[in-house]
Amino acid sequence: MTGTDQPLIRLTGVGKSHGAVIALRDVDLEASAGEVTCVLGDNGAGKSTLIKIVAGLHRHDTGTYEVQGEKVEFGSPREALDRGIATVYQDLAVVPLMPVWRNFFLGSEKRRRFGRLDIVSMRETARREMAAMGVDLRDVDQPIGTLSGGERQCVAIARAVHFGARALVLDEPTAALGVKQAGVVLRYIVRARERGLAVVFITHNPHHAYPVGDRFLILNRGRSIGDHNKDEITREELTALMAGGGELEELARELDVAGD
Amino acid sequence: MTRAASSGVAEPPVAGPGPDERLARRSPLRRLLGRPELGALLGAVALFVFFSVVADAFLRAGSFSTVLYASSTFGIMAVGVSLLMIGGEFDLSAGVLVTSSALIAALTAYQLTLNVWAGVAISLVLTLALGAANGLLYVRTRLPSFIVTLATFFMLAGLNLGVTKALTGNVASDSVRDMDGFDSARAVFASDMDVLGVNVRITVLWWLLFVAVATWILLRTRTGNWIFAVGGSADSARAVGVPVDRVKIGLFMGVAFCAWFSGMHLVFAFATVQSGEGVGNEFLYIICAVIGGCLLTGGYGSAIGAAIGAFIFGMTNKGIVYAEWNPDWFRFFLGAMLLIATVVNLAVRRRVERTS
Amino acid sequence: MALATVGLLALGACSSEGGKKAEEEAEGTGARLKIAMVTHSAPGDTFWDIVQKGAKAAAAKDGAEFLYAADPDGGKQAELVQAQIDKRVDGIIVTLAKPDAMRDVLARATAAKIPVVSINSGQHESARLGAVAHFGQDETIAGEAAGAEMTRIGAKNALCVVHEQGNVGLEARCAGARKTFRGTMRNLFVQGANMPGVKSSITAKLQADDGVDGILTLGAPFAATAVDAVKEAGGDAKIGTFDLNRDLIASITSGAVAFAVDQQPYLQGYEAVDQLWLLRTNGNVLGGGRPVLTGPAIVTKENAGRLEAFANRGTR
Repeated sequence: MTGTDQPLIRLTGVGKSHGAVIALRDVDLEASAGEVTCVLGDNGAGKSTLIKIVAGLHRHDTGTYEVQGEKVEFGSPREALDRGIATVYQDLAVVPLMPVWRNFFLGSEKRRRFGRLDIVSMRETARREMAAMGVDLRDVDQPIGTLSGGERQCVAIARAVHFGARALVLDEPTAALGVKQAGVVLRYIVRARERGLAVVFITHNPHHAYPVGDRFLILNRGRSIGDHNKDEITREELTALMAGGGELEELARELDVAGD
Repeated sequence: MTRAASSGVAEPPVAGPGPDERLARRSPLRRLLGRPELGALLGAVALFVFFSVVADAFLRAGSFSTVLYASSTFGIMAVGVSLLMIGGEFDLSAGVLVTSSALIAALTAYQLTLNVWAGVAISLVLTLALGAANGLLYVRTRLPSFIVTLATFFMLAGLNLGVTKALTGNVASDSVRDMDGFDSARAVFASDMDVLGVNVRITVLWWLLFVAVATWILLRTRTGNWIFAVGGSADSARAVGVPVDRVKIGLFMGVAFCAWFSGMHLVFAFATVQSGEGVGNEFLYIICAVIGGCLLTGGYGSAIGAAIGAFIFGMTNKGIVYAEWNPDWFRFFLGAMLLIATVVNLAVRRRVERTS
Repeated sequence: MALATVGLLALGACSSEGGKKAEEEAEGTGARLKIAMVTHSAPGDTFWDIVQKGAKAAAAKDGAEFLYAADPDGGKQAELVQAQIDKRVDGIIVTLAKPDAMRDVLARATAAKIPVVSINSGQHESARLGAVAHFGQDETIAGEAAGAEMTRIGAKNALCVVHEQGNVGLEARCAGARKTFRGTMRNLFVQGANMPGVKSSITAKLQADDGVDGILTLGAPFAATAVDAVKEAGGDAKIGTFDLNRDLIASITSGAVAFAVDQQPYLQGYEAVDQLWLLRTNGNVLGGGRPVLTGPAIVTKENAGRLEAFANRGTR
C-alpha cells in the first residue's frame, strides 16, 4: 500500500439536514487502508445519513469529504464506486432467487463475443473468491436465498472486494444475524482488513464493533460524542459511551455475554 | 431434502469438464426438479397421454399440426409475456395490442394504398412505440404495471374500434388480400408447408425460434441476468448498477414485438382484422406463462416453460374437440390447470426461498 | 373422469334407432354420420342452445352423431373447424360471422371433401366460401321487417343496440331497420357478454337523451335488459327485439316488449344437420345455391300465446 499517510476516506466537519431536521452535524470520520473504522450509535444517531454521504447517495451540506486527500462531491453511488468505495447495505442488494454466481456478477457481468456470458469463468471466479474469504460453497448454482444470512452478507462483501473496492462501507451487516452468523461476518471483516481494505463498519452493537475495530466513532443525535483509537478505549467504556452514559451498563454487561 | 431446489436460472450443462468437480455431485434428478418448467412438462406429458387415449383423432398427424398451430398462436405471445413476468411485470394490454398492431398494418396499407410491407413496417414501429409507452408509463408513474396496462388495455380497445370505424365505416379493416406484397408477406407470416406429409404452419417454426432466442437471452446474456434481477428484486438490481427502468421498458417492448408478429399473422392469415377481437387473450398468455412456471411475483420462470404452457393450452383447447366433449367444460379445465400450476409453482418457490 | 362420464351421457342422449343403411356408404366405415357444428357463439348463449337443440333433434332422427364447438374469436373459430377436419367428420356446419377468418379453413374442408353448410350469418359469402347451402335469416330483410314494426308501434327516435362488435350481421340488421323506420335510429354499442354493462349503457343513453322513444335490441336477452333499463331511467320507450326465448314470450304477452323478429334458430340447426344428412345419403341440396331463409317471423301479442308451450320446451 502506498500513500498510507493519507487516509483513504476523510470527512471533516460534515453536516446534513433534511429540511428542518438536522440529521448530522460537524462529524469527522477517517478510514485508512488496512483499518476497520467502526461507526456506532443507536437508532436515529445519524449513522445511516453518514454512510449515505460516504456511499454517494446523499450530498453533504457542510464540511469536506476527501478521498485520498482529494476533495469530492459524489452525485451517485456509481461515482463513489468508481473511486473504489463500495457499500454493502443491510438488505444486501442480492436477488434471492438467482444463483450465487449470477448475484456475484450482477451488474458487472463478464462477457465474451456476441454478448455471450462467460459463465464458466464467472462460476469459477465466484467460487474462488468465496473460498478465498473463507466461505466454502458447495454449489455456486444454488439460489442465494438458500444461503444463511451470514453467508449472503459474505457474498455481498466478496463481490465488492472482487470488483476492486478499496474501501468497504458495511451498513449494519450483523444487525439481523444470530450470534453464530454474526461471528462469520466479523471474521470476514477481519479478512477484508487483512487484504488491505479500508473498512467502515456501521453497527449499534459495541460487542460486534470492539473485537474487529481499530477506530471507533460514536454518534448520538447527529453529533459525534467520541472518536477513539482502540488503545484509548476499553470495551466497557465503549459500551457505556454508546449507551449514552452508564444507565444501561448492567444491561450491556448481560449483552456482553451474548454478543460474541 | 437437505437442500433446496436450484433456481429458475437453471443452467443447461456446460460443455466439457466443469470447473468444479463438486458440481457433478448434484444429481441430475435434483437439477431437473429445480427447473421451472418441470411441472408444466409433466402436465404436458400427462395431458398428451390422456388425450391420446380418450380421443382417437388426437394422434393423427393432421390433428397434431392443428394443436401445434393453436399452441403457436398463443405461444408466440407467451414468449414476450413470460419474459415480462420474469421481469416482475404484467401487460394486460397484450391481447388488444395484437389487434392494434394488425389494424395498424391493415389500415395504413389499405388507406394509403401502400405495399403491405410498408404497413408491416409502420406497424412494427408503432407497436414497439406502444410497448415503450406502456413501459415509460410504468417507470414514470411507479403505479403497478397491472393498473397502467389495464388503462392502456381499455384505451387501445377503444382506439381499435373507434379508429377502424372512423376510417372504414365498418368494425373490421378492409381486405388487403389483393394488395401488393400480400403473397410474400403471407409466406412469411401465415404460410404452411408439408414436412413429411404433415402440414406445418409457419407460425410453429417462428414460435420455436422465438422460444430459442428468448431462452438464449435469459440464460446466456447479460440482459437475461438483468431480467431475472429486476424481477427478483428491483432495488437490489438498481443498487448494483442494473439499469432497471431500461430493462423494464425493454421487456414491455418485447411483448409489443411479439404482439406485432401475432398481429401480422392475423392480417395475412385472414386479410381483414376484426377491431373488437383480442380482448381477454392477455389472460390466456399469462396463463401459458404461469402454467410454464413463471412466478406472478417475478424473478423466476423460463421461456421454454411458457412454450410448454402454450402447448398444454393448445392441447386442452383442441383435445376437448377431438375427444368430442361438451366444450362448455373447457374453461373449467383451464381454470383447474391454472390452479394446479400455481400451487406447484408456489411450492417450488417456498423451497427455493427457504433460508437457513 | 367426471367429464368423460358427462361426455358419454351426452352422446348416449343423442343416439336413437335411426341408423339408415345408406349412410354406411358415405364413409365406408359403417359408423354413424358424424356432423360437427362450429359457431362464433360466446359460451352459455340461449340462442345457440336452441340451435343446438334443433341440430340434436335432426341428428337423433337421422341417426347421426352431433358435435358442437364455438369460439367468438374468428381465428379460433377457424382452428376449431380445422380440428373437425382433422377428425374427418362427415359434414361441418359453420357460422360466417367473420367470413374472412373462415376462408382458408373452409378451402381445406373442401379439399378434404367434407361438405360444409353455413348457418345464421354470412349468407352472401356462403357460396363463395364453398358451402353447399345456407340456412339463416337475411339480416337486411329481417332488419327491414323490424324497422317497419318499430314504425308500427309508434317510435320516432330509436336506438339499435349492437351487442357484438364486428358482427356484420348485427350491423346489417340495424341498417335494414333504419331503411324502413320512419324516424331516426342510431346505433348503441354495448358489451354483450357483460349484461350489467349492457343495462347501464342503455340506461345512461336514455338518461342522456330523453327523446328516445324506441329501442331495438338484436338478441332476446337484451330485450329483457332494455325493459329494466327503461324502468330504471324512467320514460316510456317501446322495445322491439330480434330473436326469441321463453322469458321474452312472457314479456310480449304482458306487453313489456312490443314485438320480436324471430329467425327460428331451431330451424337453422335442424335444417343444417338434415341438409348434410340428405346430401350424404341422397345427394340432395336445398335452396338451389341460394340462402334458405328461416326468418323473419314476427312474434307479437297476438300470436305469442301459441308459441308459449314450445318456448317452455326451449325450442323456440
